[in-house]
Amino acid sequence: MNVVITPVMIGQVIISGILVGTLYSMVALGLALIFGVMRVINVAHGPLLMLGAYATYFLYSAFGLNPYLTVPITMLLLFVVGVVLQRTLVFRVVGAPELASLLLTFGISIALVNLAQLAFTSDLRAVEYLTGSYIVGPFAFSKSRLIAFVFAAAVSGLAFLFLQRTKLGKAIRATSQSREVAMVCGIDVDRIHLFTFGLATALAAAGGALIAVIVAIQPEMGGVWTFKSFLVIVLGGAGNYPGALLGGMLLGLVEQLASLFLTTQLSEVVAYLLLVLVLLVRPTGLFGGRQT
Amino acid sequence: MTRAFLGALGVALAALALYPFFGTGYGVRATLQIFMWIALAGSWNLISGLTGYVSFGHVAFFGAGAYAGAILVAKVGWSWPAASLVGGVAACVLALVIGYPCLRLKGPYFAIAMLGLNEVLRALVSYFEGLTGGGSGLSLPTLDATIPIYYVMGVLAAAVTLLTYLIITSRFGLRLMTIREDEVAAEALGIDTARHKLYAFLLSAAGPGIAGALTARDQGYIEPISVFPLAMTITMIVMVLFGGKGTVWGPVLGAVVLFVSQEFVWARFPYLHQLLFGAIIVAVVLLMPRGVLGILQMKYRLPRTI
Amino acid sequence: MRLRGLVALVWAAAVFGASLPVDAQAPGPIRIGASLSLTGTYAKLGNYQHEGYKLCAKQVNDKGGLLGRKVEFVVYDDQSTPATGVRLYEKLITEDKVDAVVGPYSSPITEAVANVTEKYKKVMVTPLAATTSIFKRPPDKKRHYIFMVISPAEVYLEGLIDMAAKRGLKTVAIVNEDTLFSKAAASGAADLAKKKGMQVVFQEGYPKGNQDFSALLTKIRAANPDVLAASTYFDDAVAITRQMKELNLNPKMYGITVGGDLPEFYDLLKQNAEYIYGATQWEATLPYPGNKEFAEAYTKEFGREPVYHSAAGYAGCVIYLDAVKRAGTLDADRVREVLLRLETKTAFGDFNVDQDGFQVAHKMVMTQWQGGKKVIVWPDDLAQAKPRFPMPAWNQR
Repeated sequence: MNVVITPVMIGQVIISGILVGTLYSMVALGLALIFGVMRVINVAHGPLLMLGAYATYFLYSAFGLNPYLTVPITMLLLFVVGVVLQRTLVFRVVGAPELASLLLTFGISIALVNLAQLAFTSDLRAVEYLTGSYIVGPFAFSKSRLIAFVFAAAVSGLAFLFLQRTKLGKAIRATSQSREVAMVCGIDVDRIHLFTFGLATALAAAGGALIAVIVAIQPEMGGVWTFKSFLVIVLGGAGNYPGALLGGMLLGLVEQLASLFLTTQLSEVVAYLLLVLVLLVRPTGLFGGRQT
Repeated sequence: MTRAFLGALGVALAALALYPFFGTGYGVRATLQIFMWIALAGSWNLISGLTGYVSFGHVAFFGAGAYAGAILVAKVGWSWPAASLVGGVAACVLALVIGYPCLRLKGPYFAIAMLGLNEVLRALVSYFEGLTGGGSGLSLPTLDATIPIYYVMGVLAAAVTLLTYLIITSRFGLRLMTIREDEVAAEALGIDTARHKLYAFLLSAAGPGIAGALTARDQGYIEPISVFPLAMTITMIVMVLFGGKGTVWGPVLGAVVLFVSQEFVWARFPYLHQLLFGAIIVAVVLLMPRGVLGILQMKYRLPRTI
Repeated sequence: MRLRGLVALVWAAAVFGASLPVDAQAPGPIRIGASLSLTGTYAKLGNYQHEGYKLCAKQVNDKGGLLGRKVEFVVYDDQSTPATGVRLYEKLITEDKVDAVVGPYSSPITEAVANVTEKYKKVMVTPLAATTSIFKRPPDKKRHYIFMVISPAEVYLEGLIDMAAKRGLKTVAIVNEDTLFSKAAASGAADLAKKKGMQVVFQEGYPKGNQDFSALLTKIRAANPDVLAASTYFDDAVAITRQMKELNLNPKMYGITVGGDLPEFYDLLKQNAEYIYGATQWEATLPYPGNKEFAEAYTKEFGREPVYHSAAGYAGCVIYLDAVKRAGTLDADRVREVLLRLETKTAFGDFNVDQDGFQVAHKMVMTQWQGGKKVIVWPDDLAQAKPRFPMPAWNQR
C-alpha cells in the first residue's frame, strides 16, 4: 500500500507548501498585528476571512469582475467591517484578561458564521476562474495557487514595508512595543487600535479573496484558518511580524511534508505538536524576537 | 439564612433523587445532561476560575475519559462503573503529562497550547483505529443504564461542587486565588506555584474524565468529532462566566440556566441558534464579566464562599 | 438566595411542565417523530430527506390519511450531532408520545439513536443509514426494530469496480473521509476490487473537513493507478476533483460515492465534472413505479429537483406507512412482522430485508457526467448510455 517517496514527489509537495505557506503568512500577519498591538487573540479572524471570500464571490458572480481585481475592493470592504467591529465591541476588551477577548471574539465568530449561513445558505460556492496548472518538467504549478502566491507575497511585502517605513506603521509598531510609551509620545492609541484591526481584517479578507479562487467556499470555512493563524504566530513568535511571515512558510512546508511522509490525518498532529514544542522550548517563537 | 439554604438544598437533592421514579425518559436524560454540565463547568472553574489559567481545551479530558471508558467496556468487557473511574484516572494522567510542562506557559500561550492539545488528541484517537475504531467511532454493547448513570452523574456533579466549596474555604484555595491575582507576588510569598497549579489542574481533569466515560456508556456510541468539540469547552466557560467564576455555585447556576434555555428556548429557533449563542457570549463578556453571583456578591456583600 | 429559589422554580417548572402528557384525543392524527440534521455539517442532505418526509405525509393525507387518521410529522433539528439526536428521540417518544418514529440522517446519528428506539421497542425505518454494522450485529446485541432502506455503504462503488474490471483495468487507488460511512464504502470497494483480481495500490483516509489534498494526490500520482475511487461526502469531492486537475492526476476512471450525482456538483465544477462517475441510490429517470410522478410532485412542491436523499426519505416514509396499513395497526411487533416479510417496489426501487432488517433488494446505479448531463451507465440493464472511457488527461481536453 505504501508508495515509494521519490525526489520528484518531495519537490512537488515543497512547491505546494511554499505556495500555500505564503497565504498562511499573509493571513497570520493580520492576527499577529492584532495580538501584538492589543494583546487580543482574535478567534473571529477566520470568519472574517470567510466574509472576504464571499465578497469576492459575489463581486465575481454578480458583477462579472475578474476575481483578482476584486482583491483590493474586498480588502477595503473588510477594512471597514474590521473598524466597525473594533469600534463597537472589541475595544471594550483591550487590556482585559485574555479570557474576555477569547470569548468575545469567539462569540463574534459564531454569530458571523450563523449570519453567513442565513444570508448565503450553506451551499458551496466556487469561483471557476483559473483551474488547472502549468506543467514544468515533472512538476505541476497550480495556476490559481501560483497567482495567490504572487498576490500574497506582494500584499505581505507592502504591509511589511508599511509597518517599517511609514509614520503610521511606526506608530503601530511603537504601540505594540509599549502602549504607555506610545501614549506619552503623543500617539493616539485608540486610533491606532482601530486602524490595526481594520488592516488585520483586510489582510484576512485578501486571503479569503484568493482562497475563493482555489477552493469552493462555505460559511464554516474560516475555522481552520483561525487555527492555522494561531499556529503561525506561535511558530513565528507572537507580535514578531517577520516571524509571522517565516512561520507561515514553515507551517505550509511542515504540513505538506508530514502529509507526504505520514498521512494527512497525522499532519495535523505534527503541526500541533510543533506548536506545543515551540511554546515550551522557545515561547518567543522560533525566529527569536523579544520577550513577551 | 444558612439554615434555610441548607434546607432548600436538601429538598432539591431529595427531589432530584426521586425524580427518575416519576419523570419521563426524556426528563431523566435532560437532567442527566444538566448534571454533566455542572460537573464540567465546575471542573473548569477549579483550574481557570481559581488560578486564572484559561484552559481552552478542557474538553480534551472529557474525550480522553470517554475513550478510556468506552474501550474498557467495549474491548475488555469491564462493567461501566469501574470503567468510568478509570476514565477519570486516565484524564488525570493526561493532565499530569501535559500540565507539568504547559502550566509554565503564561496567559494566552497556555490557552493556545490547550487548544492545540485537544486537536492533537482528536487526531491521535482517529489515527489509532485498531483500539478506538478511528473515524468510524466506537459502539458499546447495548445496555439500558440511563437511570443508574443518572445517579452516578448526579453524585459526580455534587462531588465537584462540594470539592469546589472545600477548596475555596481552604488555605489551598486561598493560595490558588493568590496565584490568580498576582503570580509573582504569590511566589514571593513562598507559595510553590508550580505544584499548586498542577494539583488544581489534576483535580479539574478528573470530573470531565468520569463524565466522559459515563456519557459514552449512556450514549452507546462515540466518535472523535463528537467527544472533542471546541464548542463544548466554550459552553463550559460561558456557563461558569455567566454564573460567576471562582464561586461555588456559579457553575451550577450557569449550567442549569444555559442548558435549560438551550433545550427549551433555542431549540425552537434552529437556524438562529448559533447567532443567539454568540450574542449571549458577547453579552456575558461585556455586561457581566463577574457573572450573576459575582454581581450579587458585590451588591449584597455576600460571603466569598457562595 | 431569592434568586436561586426563583431559578430553581423556573427550572422545575420547565422540566415538569414539559413532561405533562400531550392531550391524546382519539382519533387525532398519527404523529410520526424524527430528528433530522437541519443545521450543521449534514444540513444540506438532511433537508432533502426532510422534504421527502413532508411530501410523503402530504400525499397520504390528500388520499384520506392512514387508518382513517391524518399523518403528521414532528421534526426536530439534531444539529448533525449524535448526542442531540439521542436526546431528541427520547423526547419524541417519552414526552411528545409520538405514535411512531422514522430515521434521522446519516449513519453515526442512526447508530446512536437506535439504542433509544430499541429501548422503547419502536419500529424505525431508517431511510439514510447505509452502514452494515448498524444492522448486522453479534446475536447478543441484535437490534429487532430497525429497518434499512438503501443499499449498504460497501456496494456504493461496486459499479465503478465492475466497469473497470470489465475493461481490463488492473490497479485502483482508494481515498476516504475518515468517518463511519465513508470508511465502510472504501473497505467495501477494496474487497470488491481484490475479488475481481484488481490490485489496490494505495489506500488512505483523511480527516473530515479536510480541504488540502495536494500531498495525498501527489502520492496517488506516483502510484499511477488505473482507477481512483473516492469515498466522500460533497465538499471533499469537489476539492479533490479541482486538485486532481491542478496536479494533473489522470486515472483512466475516477468515481466518487456521495456528491458526484448532485446537480450542484456540475454547477460548481462545470466541464471539469465531465467523465466523473458518481454512485447513487436513485435517479429520477429510473423506471420504477411512480418514480416520474414522485419527481414531478417534488419539484412542484419544493421548487427544486429531488436527489436520492429526498427519494430515500420519501420511500422510507411510504414503506413504513404501507406496512402499518397492511398490519392494520401501529403496534410495533405486528408492523415489524409485516416489514420483515414485505417485498415491494416504490419510486425508490426495490425493498426487501433479511431477518436483521438489512436491505437485500435495493440496487445502486452509477452515473457519469456526459456533455453536462448525468447519465446512468451501470448496471447494464438500467444503463442509458455507454460510459465514456477512458477519462482524457486534464490538459488534453
